[in-house]
Amino acid sequence: MIEASAELHQMASLGRLSVAIAHEINSPIGSVLSNNGVLRRSLERLKELVARRESAALDQAAQVIDTCRQLADIDRVACERVRNLIRGMKTFARLDDGEARLTDINKELEETVSLAGCQFRHGITCNLQLSELPKVAAHPQLLNQVFLNLLVNSAQAIGSQGEITVRTELEPDQIHIAFRDTGSGMTPEQKARVFQQGFTTKAPGEGSGLGLAMSREIIEDQHRGSLTFESEAGVGTTFHVRLPLTKEHSA
Amino acid sequence: MTTKSKPSILVVDDEQMVVTSITAFLEVDGEFEVFGFTDPEQALRFVESQPVDVVLSDYRMPGMNGLQLLRRIKELRPETSRLLLTSHADARSAIDAINQVALFQYLEKPWDDEQLLLSIRSGAERARLLRELRERVGELDSAHHVIKDAQSRLIHAFL
Repeated sequence: MIEASAELHQMASLGRLSVAIAHEINSPIGSVLSNNGVLRRSLERLKELVARRESAALDQAAQVIDTCRQLADIDRVACERVRNLIRGMKTFARLDDGEARLTDINKELEETVSLAGCQFRHGITCNLQLSELPKVAAHPQLLNQVFLNLLVNSAQAIGSQGEITVRTELEPDQIHIAFRDTGSGMTPEQKARVFQQGFTTKAPGEGSGLGLAMSREIIEDQHRGSLTFESEAGVGTTFHVRLPLTKEHSA
Repeated sequence: MTTKSKPSILVVDDEQMVVTSITAFLEVDGEFEVFGFTDPEQALRFVESQPVDVVLSDYRMPGMNGLQLLRRIKELRPETSRLLLTSHADARSAIDAINQVALFQYLEKPWDDEQLLLSIRSGAERARLLRELRERVGELDSAHHVIKDAQSRLIHAFL
């Protein structure tokens, strides 16, 4: 039962993610294609202007060059954005061989935040406050699913404008990861049902109500950690993920 | 190009790269006067201060979405041609927009420059024709007043 719903949840997340990725790629590709056309025409124009060898024409040429430089800068930003997105996707899609391996939690968080960024770019900022952490034995692909789920939940709770803060901290025998949002928060009734499978406050099609139940299973059953939260209606919600340190690192 | 002023185009997208690319494209041949904004509120204030022929707006923007922006512009400047530039995933919202704000045209990202240019040109032409029509109707109205006035003076003088 859990496995079947897990698969369903993953498919629903992937569907939403693909739409968000398509969204994210549209603007940079549109810009780069358009800039390419403008750059080619600008080069033709420069050729004509330079051939005239008059100072007025050279002044115009300088303006054309400024525009070209601006467009080249944009092309760079656009391509970097697509590249970061692809890097994030690679991390997310990496095959898990079933064995736990030594994992750099900060690096996984950075990549998942960069991938999730495409789902909440508009009006929502995400701050990363990362402390130095030892590597821990973990299943990075599963952890990234949890991170992505918490980030997307935060973004949905925020709506159009707000802030998400992801903070990592080394505690005596564990790693503490906090996801704090300035979203709508939860009522006591909602809090009581958070980890219940199929519970959701979202509109049909926005959430399956499986994410948090699944996330808790991944953190608690497969990593022997804990997933807890605190929330206040109108103020926001913070989710706490705690993962035990791998033996040679713990005090 | 005649001595008439160039068509004015407003480009609104919360992503600076889109605004810069489209502005550069529309300005490359000097055919249009382009004003770019990444904040829909600022774009709205601009339209309040002066008329524009065409507005091209993104759909998903923080604070105010493209549909809300176009609706406000329609109230302020009904003759402005309204174009929406959206991602495919927003197609349903775009169809709503066509009905709700009497959209002139809807374009998809990633956009095709030639298609964009055709749409902007015909949007500008539509705005120009509407403006001319309004001016001609105004002239007819004042001519009508002159005739009515002459008529009443004639009646006073001879009857």
